[in-house]
Amino acid sequence: MRVGETLDNAHAQVLALAPGVVATALALDPAAGFLLSRVDGCTPWKTLRQIGALPAHEVDRLLESWLRDGVLIAAAPSTAASARAAKSVASEQQPASEKPEAAKPVAEAALPPPQPILAKPRPLTLPPIDPSIDLDVELQREILDFAAGLGRRYHEILGVTADADARVVKKAYFALSKRLHPDRYFRRNTGAFGAVIEVCFKRLLEAYELLSDPTTRKEVQSSEFVSQFAVGDCATAASARASSIDARRRLRERVSAMASHTRMHRERRRKAKTFFEHGMSSFASSRWLEAAGAVRLAIAFDPENSAYREEFPNVQRKAHEERAKHLVKQGEGALEMRDYAAALDQFEEALHFRPGDAELAHRAAKLALQVSNDLKRAKEFAAQAVEIEPGSAAYRNTLAGIYAAAGLTANAKREYDAALRIDPNDKDAKLGLRGLR
Amino acid sequence: MSRVIGIDLGTTNSCVAVVENGQVTVVPNSGGYKTTPSMFAITQDGKRLVGHLAKRQAITNARGTVTASKRLIGRRFDSDEVAKSIELYPYEIVRGPNDDARVVIGGKTFTAPELSATVLREMRRVAEEYLGEPVKEAVITVPAYFNDAQRQCTKDAGKIAGLEVLRIVNEPTAAAIAYGMSRPGKDEKVAVYDLGGGTFDISILELSDGVIEVLATAGDTFLGGEDFDRRIVTHLLAWFRDQEGIDLRGDAMAMQRLKDAAEKAKCDLSSRETVEVNLPFIASDASGPRHLSCQLTREQLEQLVHDIVSQTLKTVEQCMLDANVKTKDIDQVILVGGQTRTPLVQQAVADHFGKRPHKGVNPDEVVAVGAALQAESLVSDDQNLLLLDVTPLSLGIATFGGHFAKLIERNTTVPARKGHIFTTTRDNQTAVKIRVLQGESDLAVDNDLLGEFVLNGIRQARKGEPEVEVSFDIDANGIVSVSARDLATGKEQSITVNATGTLTDDEIQRIIRDQELYEVALKE
Repeated sequence: MRVGETLDNAHAQVLALAPGVVATALALDPAAGFLLSRVDGCTPWKTLRQIGALPAHEVDRLLESWLRDGVLIAAAPSTAASARAAKSVASEQQPASEKPEAAKPVAEAALPPPQPILAKPRPLTLPPIDPSIDLDVELQREILDFAAGLGRRYHEILGVTADADARVVKKAYFALSKRLHPDRYFRRNTGAFGAVIEVCFKRLLEAYELLSDPTTRKEVQSSEFVSQFAVGDCATAASARASSIDARRRLRERVSAMASHTRMHRERRRKAKTFFEHGMSSFASSRWLEAAGAVRLAIAFDPENSAYREEFPNVQRKAHEERAKHLVKQGEGALEMRDYAAALDQFEEALHFRPGDAELAHRAAKLALQVSNDLKRAKEFAAQAVEIEPGSAAYRNTLAGIYAAAGLTANAKREYDAALRIDPNDKDAKLGLRGLR
Repeated sequence: MSRVIGIDLGTTNSCVAVVENGQVTVVPNSGGYKTTPSMFAITQDGKRLVGHLAKRQAITNARGTVTASKRLIGRRFDSDEVAKSIELYPYEIVRGPNDDARVVIGGKTFTAPELSATVLREMRRVAEEYLGEPVKEAVITVPAYFNDAQRQCTKDAGKIAGLEVLRIVNEPTAAAIAYGMSRPGKDEKVAVYDLGGGTFDISILELSDGVIEVLATAGDTFLGGEDFDRRIVTHLLAWFRDQEGIDLRGDAMAMQRLKDAAEKAKCDLSSRETVEVNLPFIASDASGPRHLSCQLTREQLEQLVHDIVSQTLKTVEQCMLDANVKTKDIDQVILVGGQTRTPLVQQAVADHFGKRPHKGVNPDEVVAVGAALQAESLVSDDQNLLLLDVTPLSLGIATFGGHFAKLIERNTTVPARKGHIFTTTRDNQTAVKIRVLQGESDLAVDNDLLGEFVLNGIRQARKGEPEVEVSFDIDANGIVSVSARDLATGKEQSITVNATGTLTDDEIQRIIRDQELYEVALKE
């Protein structure tokens, strides 16, 4: 059991070509060379066991020997892979945490960052030849062959050369469509082959779409060239083949996603930058509120920009201070006008922006008592003041007074006692305690 | 195995074709006509009439005759299109229980699919008489710009008419099939300009050795030959008011006569320079009966409708852009729909593409022929034809801020699979709602909601960290399934979007039963 586990861990390992190793200089037979060409820093060991032209134990033996010889090194797992691993661990450890969350509000999915795009083909298990269905055995074999090669490069899927022109690509696509379009087998009993045919056609379509558009084609082909082999300083023509299925898939999806999102994102980023610059200049001239608004907009338009995010807390803190100052001033103005209700509202709002101001909370508590005899509201403010400054006897006395007014004598006594512990000579507390009896 | 027929269910006329021994035949009805008016009527004495019989009595029974019910199919009662129909047609349109538009004639309420079903049943009957055997399956065409609900309602109509609809095919695509099959071995890019009675469609297709690939398609479901008629009617109304001082608009019978005369004048002006519109006894007042007698020239007609024609050309340009082709790349322009007989339309299309349109197909029949060929290619082993059809409207999901993220762009070949990663918008958000939409607007609210579901159990994390993969799969029948998967936990939710028409299954079953009762009553 334990052995199996460690083995599995080893096989989840990702390998990369060691820096400085010139792969083409190694003496390898074609099968081993092919295997090495598939090592790209993102394909896990266990996948390598499946894609090589070698049996699994032979793959293991070769990889192990290359690791020993320093040809290969363990690659840092890709961030996505590690994040994924972390995520699954978390969910396993705290399965209960899911339940209460179901009641939380459901927000709509946000538009994602442009780069991490994946649309993995479902794992396709190839069915055995089945003579009882409405496809002749020869055709079944042809379909299986095609399906087995779905991981190849796009032009290989289409069976054309890498430099084939648009017309040739289209011809090949049409010819293959005639064999692989599901309509060809409309109402025929295709057994397990129905699903295979559909997957094959979708992949064929994808190859055709990407290769027939000059921009995507260029990106697909040039990026395929920049494989992990190129990193190891051996960017030969042969190494262009080295990109793995996964790497290519990521690339393809990035290409197609970029095609549709690039323009929009560029526009959004441009806007975000304008807002951010405006925000920073406002900040420099102490217009805090304006600065915070602008930076918030910048983040809304370009949520990926870490510079904006890093700057935001500073700007926001300043803006909050500004806002609280302004509100307190307004509250005091209202007090002078003897508009106690308005003053209370201003103080309450100011507390949102300056939640650590015990004196402000204390003033709000007293005002709440005075204005409307709203004990509940007063209690909350007083409790807040006590929580911020537990060492203040005055705050505790106020809180105790509110409890007493509400008839909660036990609570009131507790607070008065606490106040006396802070200052044994506190007159208010002594008086209050006497009143309770 | 019984035969599969191809039906062009038109706004004003319908047509049926069938393949026999590799040959396509457009089936004539009992009156010898190859097209049948898409009309349904209930007479004063409660008799139900379809096709030519319904059309013949339309003048005297304007309120009991339904024309152009295709304009109501799959539409909500509150839609602009229905409002326009209420304004245009003399029969009564009411709100149905599912917020659909229904028609009241002869004291009975009919749903839009039921009305289309009367026409489909007639076409089925015509085919059965010709073939001498029962017909149970059909391929039906619709305008390229029909949305999911309209397509589903058309399928429901088929079901009510006792037909299993194997496939819904776009009208211009069907036309291209018919054209393509007549020219085997050629590689061509063709534009199909389809101006019918009620709708306008344009499609760009590529034909190569039996494979027909739809590159792009666009259209306007509320623009067609009837708009030409209406312009003529308006013109005649104004003329009569100037001459005689009488406004005919309130008189349903006079309006129906004007409409008929306008349609006839329009057709005649395709071959002649001048026509005389004669409507004796169109009205009467204290001084006796009044007659309408008015000259109409082709030039006058062209002035009345030239803006409609230029509007179609704008749609053509949009479609060319979508297809990423230039006019010089187009090898052939095919005209479909009776309205393309108008010289002005032919000239405008020729000018736009810089070449004379193809003359080899009959614009009234070519769509039905294509539908029959597609039906045949589906059910037979014949490998001569393969249609690579596309989705008419984009599909995607609603995203934060009320935006619409398209995953499958319109004009994508089906079957197809497309995916995209989305993330959360709040800290510790553990569920996302996936709302599946169809349409072209960037704003979610402006698109049609096809279905929705919630993916729960996303790992708690800061907003923007979780990765939710949303994938769309669309199969060859146009059925869409959507799945969402949390890449971290592997949790997955999915739905198959069942296109919903305006009728529930129960309602369809009830209508079919009622209809059987009615047919039994007829026989007794």
